[in-house]
Amino acid sequence: MPRPASPPCKWPTPMTEALHTPAMLEARDLTLKFGGVTALSEISVDIGHQELVALIGPNGAGKSSLLNVLSGFYRPSKGSVRFEGQDIGNWPVHRVAKAGLARTFQGTHLLPHMSVLDNILAGRFMHMKSTLTQAFFYYPFTHREEVAHRTVAEEILNFLELEHLRHHTVGTLGYGMRKRVDLGRALAMEPRMLLLDEPMAGMNGEEKEDLARFILDIRESRQIPVVLVEHDMGVVMDIADRVIVLNFGRKIADASPKAVQEDENVISAYLGAHE
Amino acid sequence: MSEHKPQTLPQWLVYNAATRPQEVAQRYKCEGVWKEFSWADVRDEVRALALGLRARGVQRGQTVVLLSENRPELYWAEWATMAVGAKAVALYPDAAESEVNYVVEDAQAVCVFAEDQEQVDKVLPLMARHDNLHTVVWWESGGLWSYKHTGLLGWDALKALAHPVGPADEAWFEHEVALGQSSDIAVLSYTSGTTGLPKGVITTHASLMHNAELIGQTLQVPTGCEYLSYIPLSWSTEQWVGVTMGLMRPLRVNFAERPDQIQEAIRELACELVFFGPRQWESLAARVHARMLDAPPWRQKVVDWGVHIGRLARADQLDTRTRAWWVRALLPVADTLVLRPLREQLGLKRAGIAFTGGAAVAPDIFRLFAAMGVMLRNIYGCSEFGLITVHQGARVNAETIGETVSLSSPWGAPMEWRLSDNGGLEIRGGAGFDGYWGKPEKSAEKMNDGWFQTGDAVGQGSSANELIYYDRVEHMNRLKSGHLFSKQFIEVRLRFSPYIREVMVVGDPTREHVTALVNIDGDVFGRWAEHHGVSFTTFTDLSQRPEVLAQVAKEIALVNRALPEQARLRNFVNLPKELDADEGELTRTRKLKRDFIEQRYGVLIEAMYADQTTTAIEIPVRYQDGRAGMLRADVTTGCVPPAARNGDQKP
Repeated sequence: MPRPASPPCKWPTPMTEALHTPAMLEARDLTLKFGGVTALSEISVDIGHQELVALIGPNGAGKSSLLNVLSGFYRPSKGSVRFEGQDIGNWPVHRVAKAGLARTFQGTHLLPHMSVLDNILAGRFMHMKSTLTQAFFYYPFTHREEVAHRTVAEEILNFLELEHLRHHTVGTLGYGMRKRVDLGRALAMEPRMLLLDEPMAGMNGEEKEDLARFILDIRESRQIPVVLVEHDMGVVMDIADRVIVLNFGRKIADASPKAVQEDENVISAYLGAHE
Repeated sequence: MSEHKPQTLPQWLVYNAATRPQEVAQRYKCEGVWKEFSWADVRDEVRALALGLRARGVQRGQTVVLLSENRPELYWAEWATMAVGAKAVALYPDAAESEVNYVVEDAQAVCVFAEDQEQVDKVLPLMARHDNLHTVVWWESGGLWSYKHTGLLGWDALKALAHPVGPADEAWFEHEVALGQSSDIAVLSYTSGTTGLPKGVITTHASLMHNAELIGQTLQVPTGCEYLSYIPLSWSTEQWVGVTMGLMRPLRVNFAERPDQIQEAIRELACELVFFGPRQWESLAARVHARMLDAPPWRQKVVDWGVHIGRLARADQLDTRTRAWWVRALLPVADTLVLRPLREQLGLKRAGIAFTGGAAVAPDIFRLFAAMGVMLRNIYGCSEFGLITVHQGARVNAETIGETVSLSSPWGAPMEWRLSDNGGLEIRGGAGFDGYWGKPEKSAEKMNDGWFQTGDAVGQGSSANELIYYDRVEHMNRLKSGHLFSKQFIEVRLRFSPYIREVMVVGDPTREHVTALVNIDGDVFGRWAEHHGVSFTTFTDLSQRPEVLAQVAKEIALVNRALPEQARLRNFVNLPKELDADEGELTRTRKLKRDFIEQRYGVLIEAMYADQTTTAIEIPVRYQDGRAGMLRADVTTGCVPPAARNGDQKP
């Protein structure tokens, strides 16, 4: 199947000037194989500054795999990933994170026995400078640093409207709230790009609307691109600037929500092709 | 300034900032820590705001609307408004756009302080409709980053208009504040609109100060008392207590992080002066009940025992000297085991002055808190006239609304009162009634030969100055038999049941007996159902379960015992949905809008009088996100067992 020409330039977005600058993340010809199974084959993706990109596709299409490759959790068998001009394809995960690429997980990977606040502070880890000894003797510098990190964490709690749960143990929270804490922890890293893996899975309508609002707010207030894998088409078509569709490890569409909805390939991938 | 007493609120602020600049005036929980503001800090903030308002062209005599939850900025905005000689109107933060629209038009507002995006969204459409309204100020930036609108500006931007504050600006501020007189209009308090359109009650500085002084004196509020601001500023009482007494005593006024954090805040602060509305006290009491339902039986027994001893010892006063010796002996045990932990859990550990007002409170609530060692005092007044009665002294008679207050202050004469022929309370004196904003004919209607008609039907208690509140004069009801009864009287007593959240009593001269529409407490009944093995799906389903109906009937039977034979409830129905202010069934103060409910659930009412066992009903509902739907349900008519109704003949 021939790939559509990339990058397409006609999706509607308010930040037009951002589109003319080179893409922030460029992935070229990514191929990922697990033994005999090809999870991704020759996928090229560009993510521009301040773009909200949705990654969709039927089950097993390779959405999460692509996200895992972009964030450095999987090594691509072939191809390259460049983030702000640097090739991060072979970097260890923590280095990718430090470069400013934060992600959340399908399901939640939180510290269930710690408080909401501590979970968000955990996201500040790579910004912490005090050593164990300094922390033990509680240097004035350590104290100041702690206050600074706490302030950032509080801003995030405020932003995500989690103040009332500050001291609650994460394990006791409902699923929707845990997903929100997960997002808070990713924000605590002060990312330059945010990758969200099914942030709305298992949520009810109201929680989805809340989260969609938060995602739009993140883009608006922090001016960073957001990539999200999502199954809820209503949400995707509502909030995304651009939609990338995968099927059996291949990219079959990459266009505005409206164009994707009318795309023959996409319709047949979702509804089954006419034989 | 110090040689004569300040005559307006901003003058008090300047006075406090001069005499006690470093003393903590306000505290606000923000980012998880309590931030403190001294009087000098508050004065500087208010001055910066006042200069900002000047720069935006807000002038003496104009109106500024405040639309926010309680937070220090809201108070500062009000004081700044008064400092430039304008008047403030505080609205409920959950007021609908149409309500805000009405007030903006009626009061000819020029500026609105709107807390956040939610409030700004309500106000922006109004700017197009009202040319006078030229400035909207927000202080929570969330979601507002991309709003571009002339006249919409942030809190910091407003203050920046006057930055840096030079000596000339300071002098201007001092001068403007000094220009104020006690007879200036400080606030327009809009009535809740239970009867017709809301009316803006003209409230002068003198009236605010007179009432604050009276409350301070009758309740013996000490200087520097910790107070948690919770009741909305649109209530006159908060204007008297938080805003005015906060300046005059002064108090240390605290603000919770968010309104739903009030429980946590009150526990952290352990305030000395606590003022909740009746619903909040009732919900505190219901919390105790609900938590006890979860506790193992032996703990429930211990708590019941402890509260029982507390009740015996402190039923109507905290002084226990006149009690039986064994009660006095057991009280310390009960206090250690049960009552003190309860007080601590509820954050009432240091609550020396606890009061309530706004609507009648069930006497059982008074007794429960008295048993815990917290003596609730009722405060009764009206926004038009001011404070009328307060429970004073050591004894509190829970059946009354307190003794009339006939003290004078530098701003008002002692109050006099009398009862009119139809049982209505009439008063004169005090700071007086200054009329409704722009409605002289409505103001004149309220006066009767120099006496202000409160429109409340009251009776006299055991002592000559103690009043018992029945209901609004126009709401006293007659049955077909001619017997008088008060719906609210019955409703308040029913609402004390942990199982009943809201209830509306029905009965009029065409009816032979009294019936009720009950809104059950879904949370409490949910837990109850779990314990009793009753399965249910939705609130609608739960409300119609025969077991639930039987339990409600039992609760009603208990209340029936305290009622005269003719006013007893015969039938009731459980409403298939909760009463909701957003659907116009309740006012924002959670008072029932009777006509609307009666019309909406008319089918159910007719069914009760026709002895119909089940009735099908369709109710249009509106969800929070604006979607509309239709709720269909079969509603069962419940009967209160006649044996219980006639059983207890004791007086």
